[in-house]
Amino acid sequence: MTSDRSTDRGADTAIEFRGFGLAHRRAEGDETLLADVDLVLQRHRFFLFVGTSGGGKSSLLRLLAGLVEHREPPPRITGDLLVFGRSLDEHHERAHDGKVAAILQDEGLLDELSPRANVELALRAADRSTKLAPALLAQAGLPDPPERTAQLSGGMRKRVAVARALAASPELLLCDEPTAGLDGEAARQIAQLLRAAHDEDEQRTTIIVTHDIAAFAGLVDGVLVLDRAQRSLRLEGPDYAPTGTASLSRDKQVDADSAALHGLSKLLLQLGAIVETVLESLKRLPPFELPQTARTVWRFATEPALFVAIAGAVIGGLATFFGLRNNPIEGGFENAILTGTGKVSTAVLVPLLSGFFFTARIAAGAAARLGTMKRTNQIAALQMMGVRPADYLLTPLVWGMIVAMPLVTLAGVVAAAGAAALAAGLVSGISTAGWAAAYFQTVDATDVLVLLAKTTLSGYLVALCCYHLGTGPKRSGAEVGEAVNAAIVQGMALVLTVHAGLTFWAYA
Amino acid sequence: MHRLRHLLGLAILLGAALGAWWFVSVLRHLGDRPGLALQVEFRDARGLRAGADVRYRGVRVGVVRSVDISGDGNKSVIGLLLDPPGAAHACVNSSFWIVTPRFSGLTGGATGLDTLVRDAYISFRTPDDHGSPLMAGSLLAGREKPVAAEPDALEDIEHGDLLMTLLVPENHGLRPGSAVVFRGMQTGDVRSVDLAPDGTHIEVQLRIGRRFRQTVTDRAEFWVARPYVSGALFSGFTVTDMSALVSPYVSYYSEAGKGVLVQDGYRAAAQPARPNHEVADVPASALRQEQPKAPASDESIALARIVYAAVEKDTFSADDPVHFEGSGLFYFDRAGRAVVVTARSLVDGTYTVQDAFGGDPEIADEQIKVRLGDGSVLRAGRVWVDPNGADLAVLVLEDVPRDISGTAVSRLHLQGKLAPDGEGVELRRMAPDGATSVVPLDKPGTWPESLGAAVSAGNLVFAIYGRSGLRSDNPAVVSLELLPNDLRPQ
Repeated sequence: MTSDRSTDRGADTAIEFRGFGLAHRRAEGDETLLADVDLVLQRHRFFLFVGTSGGGKSSLLRLLAGLVEHREPPPRITGDLLVFGRSLDEHHERAHDGKVAAILQDEGLLDELSPRANVELALRAADRSTKLAPALLAQAGLPDPPERTAQLSGGMRKRVAVARALAASPELLLCDEPTAGLDGEAARQIAQLLRAAHDEDEQRTTIIVTHDIAAFAGLVDGVLVLDRAQRSLRLEGPDYAPTGTASLSRDKQVDADSAALHGLSKLLLQLGAIVETVLESLKRLPPFELPQTARTVWRFATEPALFVAIAGAVIGGLATFFGLRNNPIEGGFENAILTGTGKVSTAVLVPLLSGFFFTARIAAGAAARLGTMKRTNQIAALQMMGVRPADYLLTPLVWGMIVAMPLVTLAGVVAAAGAAALAAGLVSGISTAGWAAAYFQTVDATDVLVLLAKTTLSGYLVALCCYHLGTGPKRSGAEVGEAVNAAIVQGMALVLTVHAGLTFWAYA
Repeated sequence: MHRLRHLLGLAILLGAALGAWWFVSVLRHLGDRPGLALQVEFRDARGLRAGADVRYRGVRVGVVRSVDISGDGNKSVIGLLLDPPGAAHACVNSSFWIVTPRFSGLTGGATGLDTLVRDAYISFRTPDDHGSPLMAGSLLAGREKPVAAEPDALEDIEHGDLLMTLLVPENHGLRPGSAVVFRGMQTGDVRSVDLAPDGTHIEVQLRIGRRFRQTVTDRAEFWVARPYVSGALFSGFTVTDMSALVSPYVSYYSEAGKGVLVQDGYRAAAQPARPNHEVADVPASALRQEQPKAPASDESIALARIVYAAVEKDTFSADDPVHFEGSGLFYFDRAGRAVVVTARSLVDGTYTVQDAFGGDPEIADEQIKVRLGDGSVLRAGRVWVDPNGADLAVLVLEDVPRDISGTAVSRLHLQGKLAPDGEGVELRRMAPDGATSVVPLDKPGTWPESLGAAVSAGNLVFAIYGRSGLRSDNPAVVSLELLPNDLRPQ
């Protein structure tokens, strides 16, 4: 093992390991990944980072990037890890003040934004002009990117990710498998792009986790080798070639179950996460990401309007139609039927149905989207850009629900009333004025306030539920699906609870 | 597609906003609609709710807009909005009341029963002499009780209807519009209920439909129907006239062929309770299949032989039998009934005899039998006597053979005297054996056996041979023009 113990620990040092050890916490005992590592990485070097599978390369990279998963027990760290002279512990988050950028696996591009908007978002987060986005994209080899991120090929996604990562002019650029999934030629182009980006900034240090050493041949200044068996980290020369049977295949994620705690600790961790989500929602309630919030409110208000209006019309119309039509006493109880229909439609049925639909259609969709973002490192990318996920995701979700849900529910109530008026006219020939006097006879401001309270509170809680479930750890697509199912079930339970509670409180 | 969905959603939200604005506008301007907004005070709103109907003569003409408590808390204030048609009928002298189920005791009847299964509503009525129109926002005092049915709410009186007065000791809930029932079928209605001028009884004015006036004879018994329980503990009880529990009515009973028809203005005293009648079975004749009657021959003058038997009851002496025999003219009236027109003195003991003290007789157990030309002997009853005392009566026959024909209408002269008395005038009569004979009127010895004989001239019958008045012995020719229209031939 050749440890490069640098004697120059001043401005030329990018990263320094001092007796550094890293271990996963497990119920049956810690699993040590690295132990007693002493190593200094100089600034403005272009490193490859290789090692055996499951050796902890990605864990170390995320640690360097400041990406901490709050819902899971943090890794155990011993010794010191200094990044630009600043020590990191296991609880640090985004501690580098924009000096570090990372290109994670799956690139973490925000799918709902265009490639250019992705870069602009990173520029805005770095307090730089968004007008630099075309130049950055051109620098990354995409002078004319498609409008939609989904239209990007694998190589183009890598280029956009590079452009986005360079937006903050990071001093430390971390890349996790940037050539994965690309053929030889494309991989080589990305490697050259990364090297060129590295050379542009004299202060920049680049570390690339990869198994594709060939793609970077002749471009690197050194190779970091993580030896799983020796639990060591060493720095080799640029011509390093792996030997033996050590697999260089892609590292596997740590098994969540094996890393999870059990019993009370797990419960406390989950409760803590819920409390953290609630506090975060309150703390970040002002719409800091105004465009994203406005987009979400617009989408939440317009997408379910048709269904809720139709459902409201069906409830109000059919209840009135069959109430009057099946009335055994022709002409009898008309006022009572209309009054009852108006009250129950306005205060109970339409709000409840609207709450269910918002949960099933909007909130579950949000949970799926958040889960996918989590799974594909989009949320991590936001964190790397310095954008708080709460600002970009939770706050718009909350505002979308607490604004759109009452609004759309009121539209459903109006549709129910309109259909009831129509049905009353068709069945019994009741005039609009006569119908209105009876239908709204007992509908008062209290009902509207209760409606607003129900929809606002349940919308807020459902938004929290979906955000919390969607942004939890996601290691597979199945976990995304489970989060969606849980969001539907728990969201509807919340809606039912809020509606039943407020109905009882207001009317009983 | 996404954009379209969002635009559609936006359109729906805008539409809902417009709809909400419209609903609010409708509610806000509910009182601004063309019409008349009023307030009516009641001591008790009786469960009335906003949105209830306002009706005039049963037609919905408005809506209840509000139900509030007055400022002093002593009244309920009902806000009404009358549509223009209803507003046109609302005047200062209109009476408003709340229609809910109301029971006025077992004999007082019930009103507003429709609101047992419908919502309460407000009704109002305006007298014929409309007062000044009401101003918008007027505050009126409502009536706590419904306004009784007014004459104009009753059926119109048609020509031929019988109008009579029933005297009852006290009113048992009868009111204008109450039914008059014969054999369970409504035949008329109560027109008015008033206290007699001397305060000794109640005078109830009745109208009997002309179709049914033959059911009212001077032998008919009237009573005010009230639930009546009969029977015994072990034989079981029977409750009759239960329907009178909620709606009292007048009932009467008469038997066909008994008594004489009454005239307009007839006054009868009601029985104090339902008479214990043995209701006769349906007559066998009613079971027979209707057969066409034999057409009356243009040449025929059908006569009948009449035997009248009765008893004149005397308190201090033996009962005196009353027996008369004579003739009559047989024909079918406009209703198709077989009738015999004859002299009243022949078929009504009260018209002819006197009691032992020279006063009005008490005639009982009357029997009238009629022999027709085919030899059949039938029972008969008076259906009409001349109201002015002329010696003329009409009998209705029971169980008339279907194949018998009566006097042709062409052989009857119904427009007064055809010829001077005694000049070319003949009496047509039937002997006890059924033989008919024609004798000159001026021939001596035809009196009194010829009572009821048809008086003809030139083969046209124009009168009945009778007497000149009550208990008179002087012969008279009574013109057929006195016959009421209903009893004239077909």
